[in-house]
Amino acid sequence: MKRRAQPWLGTLVEISIADAMADTALAAAFELAFQQLALVHRLMSFHAADSDLARINRAPVGSIVEIDPHTRTVLQAAMQVTAASAGLFDIRIASRLVDWDLLPPAGQQLPAYQPQQLSFSLTPEGKLQKLGADWLDLGGIAKGYAVDLAIQSLQQSGVQNACVNAGGDLRVIGDSASEIMLRDPASPASMAYKISLQNQALATSASYFSLQHTERGSHSALVNGQTGEAMLDAVSVSVSAAQCMLADALTKVVMASGNAKHACLAQFGAHALII
Amino acid sequence: MKIAVTAPLLLVSLAGASSSAFATQYLTVEQAQKAIFPEATAFKPATLQVTLEQMRQMEKLAGLPARSAAWRTFTAFKDDKLLGYIVLDDVIGKFELISYAVGLLPDASVKQIEILTYRESHGFEIRNANWRQQFVGKTAAAGLSVGEGIANISGATLSCTHVTDGVRRIAALAQVALKK
Repeated sequence: MKRRAQPWLGTLVEISIADAMADTALAAAFELAFQQLALVHRLMSFHAADSDLARINRAPVGSIVEIDPHTRTVLQAAMQVTAASAGLFDIRIASRLVDWDLLPPAGQQLPAYQPQQLSFSLTPEGKLQKLGADWLDLGGIAKGYAVDLAIQSLQQSGVQNACVNAGGDLRVIGDSASEIMLRDPASPASMAYKISLQNQALATSASYFSLQHTERGSHSALVNGQTGEAMLDAVSVSVSAAQCMLADALTKVVMASGNAKHACLAQFGAHALII
Repeated sequence: MKIAVTAPLLLVSLAGASSSAFATQYLTVEQAQKAIFPEATAFKPATLQVTLEQMRQMEKLAGLPARSAAWRTFTAFKDDKLLGYIVLDDVIGKFELISYAVGLLPDASVKQIEILTYRESHGFEIRNANWRQQFVGKTAAAGLSVGEGIANISGATLSCTHVTDGVRRIAALAQVALKK
């Protein structure tokens, strides 16, 4: 097993390749896969002022914003999950995270968060039309998409057995099942569970690493889209699906609903586990 | 995967405190050199000593405390041509200890970041008895505690802010003390 790790999308992304390959082919496969992660980071970072996401957030209401096809794919998937979950998952929550110091201030006045609104639409030409002032954050879905792109890139390089793990959101390909350990939400340095995974993605969400208690209250990076409130339960939600992007987004639906059999899961061919 | 004993002293001493830490070695320093500057023919090691004045400039550029006056670096050459630099560093997070290498071009821009080792600082425990049996017979030497036997961990996203801060500090170091 050859492993490499680089910091992308605010976390450490690890790529493991189990195939026997010549050194140069292996180096090229790693390089191309990491380039895909870098691409998603560049397009969808909330922090980088020149990302598609930052341009969308700065754009005045009513304007049309040119976006990369990758950004469009992620926004489309986000809209689908938002619709299927009646707004439990919502990418318009950035102002909440900025308010709680979980995202950096963007130098503009914070838009108020109102549940169940539409803040953009996608035009037939693939552009974005801004309908509301809300700030978008793709932190709950872009990591999964980046994992999918990296896996695709590895496959194009001829890799057959591999894993891409973006800080806990991961996808495996190969002839045999991989063992994935799940952190214990009550004691995250310990492993509470093991899952066997083959040619599938698994994403986990929990509040234990982002939980903050301040004089202004307790917050986490996980927001219930229907209420705009932080999800603070000491549980961990894992979702398996064919695509990591969907698994990533659906963890928030299961976390917000507390329902490991939420109807939304079947619609996307996904399964959930709450511990 | 062989675990090379190249981890900095700090990591070794801290990790020694817990009986079994989860750790992964991604690259040795030599492998990282090749991954960052594959075309290089030579890497010249040096300890880069920065002055108090340079540390002040670094703090200004990075917006972070300069932290250290001595940095482990390599200068990469292809024959006589300068390709860039590699700076080694370690950071300690809430749960983890990370060694990493930053590759920089001669103009001090960051070319590539490679994680060398990752180690969880709180030890590593397997709780569920049902599947713990599967690991019976696997000793630490066989890989249970060093990442080879355990494929992957899924959990809440652990932010790597301290790595990105570290990279920012090294980019400032390069600007102040390495840039040609």
